[in-house]
Amino acid sequence: MTRQERTAWTFTAPVLAIIAFVLILPTLLALALSVTDYSVYALADWANLRFIGLGNFTTLLTTPLFWRALGNTALFSVVGVPMAIGASLLAALLLNDATVRWKPLWRVALFAPYVTSVVATATVWQFLLNTRYGLLNYGLSLVGIGPVDWLGDPRASIPAILIFVTWKIFGYNMIVFTAALSAVPQDLMEAARLDGASRLGRFRHVTLPAIGPTLLLAAVMSVAGFLQLFAEPYVMTQGGPAQSTVTVLYFMFDEGFKWWNLGQASAVALILFVLILAVTLVQARIGRRYEWL
Amino acid sequence: MGQAASPPDQGLTRRGLLAGSAALLASACAPRRNPAALRLWAMSYEGDYSPHLMPPFTRATGIDVEVQSLPWTASHEKLLTAFAGDAMPDVMMLPAGWVGEFAMVGAIAPVCDPALVTGLFPGLTEATRYGGRDHAVPWSVAPQAQFYRRDLLAAAGYDGPPLDWAGWRHMGRELKRRRPGEWVFLMPLNWWDALFTFAGQAGAKLLRDRNTRGDFASPEFAAALDFYASLYADRLAPPMLSTELQDPFAAFAQGAFAIYPRSPAMLLDLRRRAAEIAPDRWGVARMPGPRGPAPAGGISATLAVAATSPRAHEAWTLVRYMTGVGAELEFQRLIGSLPARQSAWAAPQMQAPVLRPFRSQMTELVTEPNVIEWERIRIEVQLVAERLVRGDLTSAQAMATMNTRADAILAKRRALVDAGRIA
Amino acid sequence: MAVTVPRARIRAILANAAVAAVTLLTLLPLAWMVTVSFMPRGEANHFPPPFWPSRWSWENYHELLVRRLIDGAWFDYRMVPALWNSLGIAALSTLFGLLLTVPAGYAFAKLRFTGRERLLRLLIVSLIVPGQVAMLPLFLIFKELGLVNSYAGVILPSLAGIFAILFVRQATLGIPDEMLDAARLDGASEARIFGSIVLPLLAPIVVTLALFMFLGSWNDFLWPLIILSDQHRYTLPVAVAAIGREHAADGELMMAAAVVTTLPVLALFLALQRFYMNGLLGGSVKG
Repeated sequence: MTRQERTAWTFTAPVLAIIAFVLILPTLLALALSVTDYSVYALADWANLRFIGLGNFTTLLTTPLFWRALGNTALFSVVGVPMAIGASLLAALLLNDATVRWKPLWRVALFAPYVTSVVATATVWQFLLNTRYGLLNYGLSLVGIGPVDWLGDPRASIPAILIFVTWKIFGYNMIVFTAALSAVPQDLMEAARLDGASRLGRFRHVTLPAIGPTLLLAAVMSVAGFLQLFAEPYVMTQGGPAQSTVTVLYFMFDEGFKWWNLGQASAVALILFVLILAVTLVQARIGRRYEWL
Repeated sequence: MGQAASPPDQGLTRRGLLAGSAALLASACAPRRNPAALRLWAMSYEGDYSPHLMPPFTRATGIDVEVQSLPWTASHEKLLTAFAGDAMPDVMMLPAGWVGEFAMVGAIAPVCDPALVTGLFPGLTEATRYGGRDHAVPWSVAPQAQFYRRDLLAAAGYDGPPLDWAGWRHMGRELKRRRPGEWVFLMPLNWWDALFTFAGQAGAKLLRDRNTRGDFASPEFAAALDFYASLYADRLAPPMLSTELQDPFAAFAQGAFAIYPRSPAMLLDLRRRAAEIAPDRWGVARMPGPRGPAPAGGISATLAVAATSPRAHEAWTLVRYMTGVGAELEFQRLIGSLPARQSAWAAPQMQAPVLRPFRSQMTELVTEPNVIEWERIRIEVQLVAERLVRGDLTSAQAMATMNTRADAILAKRRALVDAGRIA
Repeated sequence: MAVTVPRARIRAILANAAVAAVTLLTLLPLAWMVTVSFMPRGEANHFPPPFWPSRWSWENYHELLVRRLIDGAWFDYRMVPALWNSLGIAALSTLFGLLLTVPAGYAFAKLRFTGRERLLRLLIVSLIVPGQVAMLPLFLIFKELGLVNSYAGVILPSLAGIFAILFVRQATLGIPDEMLDAARLDGASEARIFGSIVLPLLAPIVVTLALFMFLGSWNDFLWPLIILSDQHRYTLPVAVAAIGREHAADGELMMAAAVVTTLPVLALFLALQRFYMNGLLGGSVKG
């Protein structure tokens, strides 16, 4: 072993060991756990543990709440991604305007919500979204919209949480988009302007193609983020009302740590894994198409 | 907050304490223990107010107690995690329905002294028995009663609510006819108490085959479910969740509802928010039964000692004190909870008219299935009932769905019972 | 032609006003959080919602942070221990995280060893595994090891910094090989090369990474929620979630709790925002 090699292993072995111990090993064990009926009975006595093959997965398929959780999560992603990406893009476009001054200041201010604790800000938004005394309903009342029962009405609960999530995360992609926008070729922009293209036209034919790949990638990565929603419903609605905000991860937490059905919960975790894997594959494909990575 | 206890009760408290400390002295051969305080975990009002019970206990026994208040909705996972992580408190409050589960996993110790579980209301210890031994000491009981608006009922010609289902519903229709814009019964669709009170009164068994399958298609449960659903179909109760009501108490106080079935915790709310509704405007009665009042279930809180507690003796001393008459009465004053110990009910404060319906219900308690899956089944059944009320299911479909869900949740238990591993 | 100048000016004013308005709207919830936390109890429950306290009061912070004796009984939200726990856990996670990942990232970038490329590919693949999948078995493992409800149990999983390794590697690639080879020719040991040549160059990246790690640990919720059961061990987010379950109606108190939880990291972020933003955009080292 060369001197370099010895140093390399000293430098890498500890962290690799930890990764193997807290990530790789448990993930393999999750596979094993998902084919058992580990429950509170097994916690009492290991002898109660049985191998049940794909039993957990077939049970899940007939559990209405699991489908509900999948549906809710899908709804969160389908509505949330355009909302969050749209807000980020809008903010980035505003910031990108050549006439805007003090850009670093605005950028930091708009980014601030991203670094705060989800639990703390979700608590704040719980009060902002209050039906009677909330700031949001007050704002709506000023433009003549009646009070919305944001967190109590099953039809409003997902949009309510999404408003909060958008506020919390839009700063991140805003920064990413600002960087992409600054790379839009200015000569092309100038040529389009001289050709008499409208602002919208310039946006569609020059800006959008230039930042398209970034947008797409951000959107796909946001899907992965929305698949992992947990703290927001845990704090704001506890999965309610009428289970309208139970997400896949929330379901996994309840199944696993509230009711202690770790076998069943592992099956949920693996399904979540497969979903995220699918999203990642799409992401990798996009990356390859545009020759990144 | 009424900290100053009246003299006779203080006497009772002191006597209980003396008994406890005498027992402690008997084992005083043990060396001076860990200086850290005894740890007690309790939920909701009990957790918030338990510190008030501790100063006299500490004075009499020299044992410091540190109380942690758990949120109800997160307590099950916190307690199980604590067990898994060897971080159990010495003493914990458990709803009676969880005792079997925590006893099975070996988290709690059997009750050491039979005197602790004698003199209680009949039926209470059935739920806390596991493997033939008591594992927790019943502390307080919370059966449902109906709180009603005297003024609204009087306007419709009623002194109090009828106590049979038909009469109750008829009264509801009368009230609704007079005030079509308001509701009568405050029974949010995410609270299972009302449905299960009706089911208990109808005599429904809820589970069958040695508690391995749902029994929600029985004629008794069908009668309760139909009655429950009819109150919504007649628009006497709103198809709403408690979250949509925001503040149910305020809705009752403002007269949006005439009848509010609730546990004794309502007494504390009524006292704290007396400015919103004057005491002469409300009354309490037992819940109506099919043909008059009948036995029903009541959630009871118990106290248990961790199996791993290194200071089991002091822990039991604390349990003895907290379930003793003096502390029970003090707690009744503080938070309205109803003592599980019968002798406590001889005290003058327990003769208040508002407590009478609760007391008569407590002499007629039914025990709900003592299986660890019960908590979950109850939640699932209520979710199906909600869909019935919302018109997504017929009542036959609803009952079939309830059985399917219950059977799925009980699958593991069924397998173990069939294999003869558990009773 | 005379029209264009004012038109451009109007556009500039409009654009600046729009940015200011959006920023104001974004900061409104945070500002409201702070003002409400200073309102006397119950004041926020009015319509229209008040934005300014009628009188500035510390009572919410006092109730939240100070152990109080009421009628001979102690009441304690245990927020101060939670604050110390959060600080300690975040600091240790950051410290150990840096010690583990910075050398590793450098090794993957600049040191030649067998299996390097294969390990690197493996790391990138493991990046896909969501941590939540590992949580259930990890809990059982930790249970056997006695790490449930311990600080080590919270910190250990956060040390598996695959992202951090790749981040450091990316930055280190920018350091010219000639520089390191020259040092080797001069007879410097590998440890010395890392310590006195590479590390100083990586300093800004290390600050960025430390900031990421600290904020990540401070804001982490799901795993601490699972692994901690004793209130004395709670981190701030877990404590705030627990208090919120029982005090959902006490807006002013909860806002004070939210302020205590967010303000320290917001201040840290503002102080070091340059490093944070550079890191976001894939910071690199100019060697």
